[in-house]
Amino acid sequence: MSVGVLRLRLSARRGRVRERIAGYLFVAPAILLLGAVLAYPAFVSLRLSFTVAGSPTGLGLDQYRLLLRSSLFWQVVRQTGTFVAISVGAHLILGMLLALALNRPLMGRTPLRIMVLLPWVVPDVVAGIVWKWILNPLYGVLNDVLLELHLVQSPLEWIASPKLALFSVILANVWRGFPFVMVILLAGLQAIPEELYEAAAIDGAGPLASFRHITLPGLRKVLVVALALDTIWEVRRFGLIQAMTGGGPGTLTEVLSTQVFKQYFQFFRFEYASAMAMAMTALLLLISIPYVRMIVREE
Amino acid sequence: MSRSGRLCRVVFCALVAGALLFSVLTPARSGELVTLRFSNWHLVEDVWGRSLREAINIFESRNPGIRITPEPISYAEKEPRYQAECAARRMPDVVKLHNFSLAMFFELGCAADLTPFVQRKGPGFLKTWYEFPLKMLTYRGRLMAMPDDFQSIVLIYNQELFRAAGLDPKRPPRTWTEFLEYSRRLTRDVDGDGRIDQWGFSIPASKNPGLPLRIMPIVWSFGADFITEDGRRSAMNTPEFREAFRFIVELATVHKVVPPGVTTFGPQDVRIQMAQRRIAMKIGSAWSYPIVNALNPQLNAAQVLEAAPVPVGRRRITAAWLDAWVMSPHTRYPEEAWKFIEFLTSKEIEKKFFEDNRVISSRKDVNTLPMVRTDKFSRVIVAELEHARLEPFIKEWPEIFDAFATALQEAITGAKPAERALLDAHTRVEEILARRR
Amino acid sequence: MPGLFSSRSPLAAAAIYTFLLAVGVYVIFPFLWMLLTSLKTETEALQIPVVWLPVRPTLKAYAVMWIRKNYAVYFLNSTVVSLITALLSSLLGALAGYGFSRFALRGRGVLMGFVLTTQMLPGVLVVGPYFKILSAVGLYDTRTGLIIAFLTICLPFATWMLKGFIDGIPRELDDAARVDGCSWLGIFARIVMPLVLPGLVATILFAFLLAWGDLLWVSTLTHSESMVTVTLAIARTVQEFYVNWPELMAGALIGGVPSILLYLLMQRWLVQGLTAGAIKQ
Repeated sequence: MSVGVLRLRLSARRGRVRERIAGYLFVAPAILLLGAVLAYPAFVSLRLSFTVAGSPTGLGLDQYRLLLRSSLFWQVVRQTGTFVAISVGAHLILGMLLALALNRPLMGRTPLRIMVLLPWVVPDVVAGIVWKWILNPLYGVLNDVLLELHLVQSPLEWIASPKLALFSVILANVWRGFPFVMVILLAGLQAIPEELYEAAAIDGAGPLASFRHITLPGLRKVLVVALALDTIWEVRRFGLIQAMTGGGPGTLTEVLSTQVFKQYFQFFRFEYASAMAMAMTALLLLISIPYVRMIVREE
Repeated sequence: MSRSGRLCRVVFCALVAGALLFSVLTPARSGELVTLRFSNWHLVEDVWGRSLREAINIFESRNPGIRITPEPISYAEKEPRYQAECAARRMPDVVKLHNFSLAMFFELGCAADLTPFVQRKGPGFLKTWYEFPLKMLTYRGRLMAMPDDFQSIVLIYNQELFRAAGLDPKRPPRTWTEFLEYSRRLTRDVDGDGRIDQWGFSIPASKNPGLPLRIMPIVWSFGADFITEDGRRSAMNTPEFREAFRFIVELATVHKVVPPGVTTFGPQDVRIQMAQRRIAMKIGSAWSYPIVNALNPQLNAAQVLEAAPVPVGRRRITAAWLDAWVMSPHTRYPEEAWKFIEFLTSKEIEKKFFEDNRVISSRKDVNTLPMVRTDKFSRVIVAELEHARLEPFIKEWPEIFDAFATALQEAITGAKPAERALLDAHTRVEEILARRR
Repeated sequence: MPGLFSSRSPLAAAAIYTFLLAVGVYVIFPFLWMLLTSLKTETEALQIPVVWLPVRPTLKAYAVMWIRKNYAVYFLNSTVVSLITALLSSLLGALAGYGFSRFALRGRGVLMGFVLTTQMLPGVLVVGPYFKILSAVGLYDTRTGLIIAFLTICLPFATWMLKGFIDGIPRELDDAARVDGCSWLGIFARIVMPLVLPGLVATILFAFLLAWGDLLWVSTLTHSESMVTVTLAIARTVQEFYVNWPELMAGALIGGVPSILLYLLMQRWLVQGLTAGAIKQ
C-alpha cells in the first residue's frame, strides 16, 4: 500500500475521532450537569427503597414485597394508566386538530393562537382549584348552566361522584395540557415544505391522502418526542389532582404521584414511598423504551 | 436570526445575568444581633397574622438583642417543609405544630427537649397549664413542646334558623337522637322554589386535617374508638363503632340533612355555608365564629351564633385541638428561642391572643379571667375542656384516619356499601398496626 | 398549505370554525370565570344561585394582591428564575440535541435514555436530597439554587425537543458547510439554529412555563419572604382557614401575564419558520 493511501486513511480516522470527540463535547455540559445534580437524590431514593429495619445489612426487598402485594397499589396503577392514556390521547387529538386548523391562514389567527396557549399559562395547582370551583355542586357555574338548560334535574356532583370524579379530573387535565402538544405540532407543521403539498395536489392526492403520506411522516419525529414527554409528565401529574379531589372519593382518583406524596409527607413512610416512586420510575422507563428506540433507530 | 436580533438577545441575557449575580452577591446582614427564624401558618392569615406580628414587635422591643425573622408558610406546606429542613439541620428556631403531626416530629427527633428550661423555672411553673396537654407533649419523660391553643370541639348553631324552624334556640340538641330530629326540621326549602336550600348540618368530609376533630366527638360519644387502649389493634369493628359510622353516613345518604357534595367540603366550605345561612349547625371551635363573621358581616355572627356541648351518646366526651411551640433541635440560640417561646405562652400574650382572635389557650389562669368566662363561646369551650380528649399520639395516626376517611367517602358516595367499606378500613388499620409490632 | 384542511369549500370552513368555536369555549370559559370572579366582592362570589356578572365590578382584589401582598417582588423572582432557567436549559439542550442528532456517539441510546430518565424521578423524592445539597453548597433559599433545581426538569425536556427539531434539518446542509471549512460550532450556530427557530422558541417558552408553574420545589427550597414566587404566593392564598376567591383569581390572572407577554414576544419567531422552510432546497 502506498504511503499516500495510508496517510489518507490515518487522517480520515483522525478526522472521525475528532468528530466523535466534538460530539461528546456538545452533549457533555447537559449530561454532566444532570448527572451531578441528580446522582445523589437518585442514590438516596434507591437506597431508601431497599431499607429494611431489622435485617442484618439494613437492606432488603420488603418494601417492594409490601408494595406488590398491596391491592391499593395495583388499583392506583390502573387508575394512573386510565388517567394518562385518556389525557395523552385527548391532548394528541385536540392538539393535532388545532395545529392543522391554525396552520391555515384564518381570520383572527394570531389571537386564536394566543388563546389556545392560555391554559398552559396557568400552574396546574391553580387549574385544579379553578376547575374544582367551576364543578362545585353548590356554587359551581357548570351545574348552573346545565340546570338552566334543563339538561339535568339536580346539580351533578362532579368531584364527589364515584362515576364522574376521574372524568372530571381528566376534563381539567385535558384543558390544561393540550396547548403543549398543539404548539409543538404547529412548529413541526411549519417545517414541512409547502412544495411537497403542492406536488401532491398536482398528482391528484386528496386532503386525507396528503395528510397520511406527507403530514404524518413529516411530523413523526416531533410527534414521538411530544408524546413521550407528555406521557411522562402526565404520569407525574400531581398538583392538579391533589387540588381537585385529593385522591377521592375514597381512593378512586388516586394516581401514583398523589400516593407517593401521601405516603411520604402525610404518613411519613419514607421507605415505602421510595419503593413506590422507584416502581413509578421503572414504569416510566418501560413506557419510554419504545419511544427512545424509535428515535434512535432512525439514524 | 438576524445579527441585531442575536445582539439583542445577548444584551438581554447579560442584563438578566447581571441582575442575578447582583442578587446572589448581595451580602447577608451580619452583626451582634441574634436572629431567630420563626415559622407559623398564622402569619399568612389576615387577622391572626396581624396579632402575631404585634406580639413579635412587643418581644423585640423588650429584647433589643434579639431579632425575629418571620417565615410565613401555609398550613398544608408545614409538615413537608419542616421535615426537609430538620433533615438538613436547618429547621426554623421556633415553629408551631399541632396534634396531628406532633408525635411524628417527636419520633423523628425534630423537637428540642424543653425539660431543662422548664425545670429552671421552678417546680410550680408548669402548674399554670392544664395537665392533659402537658402530658401529651411529654415524650419518653421529656417535655418536647410548650402547649399553646387548647380548645374543645363544640356544636355551633344559628339561633335565628332555629327559631324559623320552630325550635327553641335556648335548647340545643342534647343527644344524637335529638340532633337528628333537629337536623331534619332544619332542612327545608326556604325560598319556596321547590329545591332544598337550607340544611341542618354540614361536615368537611374531604380528606383534610380538620376532619378527625369533627369525627372523633361523634365516634367517641357513641362509646366507640378507632384503636384499642393499648394501641395494638383496630377497634373499628365493634358494634358501637359500626353504629357511629352508620349514623354519620346516614346523615348524608338516608336523611339528607347535609348539603350535596359533603365529601368534597373542606372546613372553609362549611364555614361559608354557615356564613350564608345554608346550614344551621356545624361542629367547630373558637376559630369558627370570627371567620364566619368575616365571611359575612351581615350575618352578625356574634349575636346569631351560639355554642353548645357536642350531643351526648353513651358518654359525654369531645375532642380537643392542641397546638404547641416546638424549638428546633439544631438551633444555635436555644436560650433566646426559649425566651421567645416563654413569651408567646405567657399570660400577657395568651390574653392578647384571646382578645384579638378568641382562641383559648392551655393556661388555666387566662381561662378563668372574667373576659373569657363571660364570652358566650369561650365559656362553653373552656367548660368542655374537662370532657376533652386528644387523638392517639402515635406516628401512624394520619394513616389510620385516612383509612377511616376513605371508608366514609366510599359509603357516602355509594362507591361501596357502608358495611364493606368499614370492614375494608378495619382490615387496613389492622395491617398498619401490625407494622408497629 | 397543509393538505388535510386545505379544502376551500364553505362547508369545510364552517366545520372548522364550529370546531374552533367549541374549543374556544372550552379553553376560554374558565378564564372568563376567573376574570368575573376577580371583579366581584367576596360575598358576591359565593352567592347561590350563581351570579354571573358582578353587580358592581371592583378592582379591589387586584389592589389587595398587588399592593398589600407584595406581588412585585414575587414577579421579579418568578421572572428572573424562569427566564434564566428557560434560556440556559434551551442553550445546553440545543448543544446536546445537536450532538445527539449529528454525531455517531457510542452509547448514544444509553445517554439519551439517561437524559429522559432524569425526568422520571418523582419530584417528591428528590426534594429532600436537593434540600441537603443546596444547603451544603450554601445555595438554599437563593434564586441560583432554584435555577439549578429547575434546570433538572427543563434541560432533559429541552434536549429531547431540540434533538427532534434538529433531526428535521437535512444533513446535507451541514455537509455543505463542512466542505466550506465551517467548524462544528459554526454550523451549529449559523446554520442549524436559525432553521430550528420555531422549535427553539417553543422550547424556550415551555421551559419558561414549566419553571414558572412549579410549586413543590419552590416551597421547599426557599423560606424567605423575599424569595417567594408568584405560583407560591397564589397557592398560599388558599389557606386552611380562609380562602378569598376574588383575590385568588386576581392573583392567578396577574400571574399569567408574563407568560402571555413572553409568548406574544416570541410567537413572531414561531411563525418565521414558514419562510425559513422555503429556503431548504
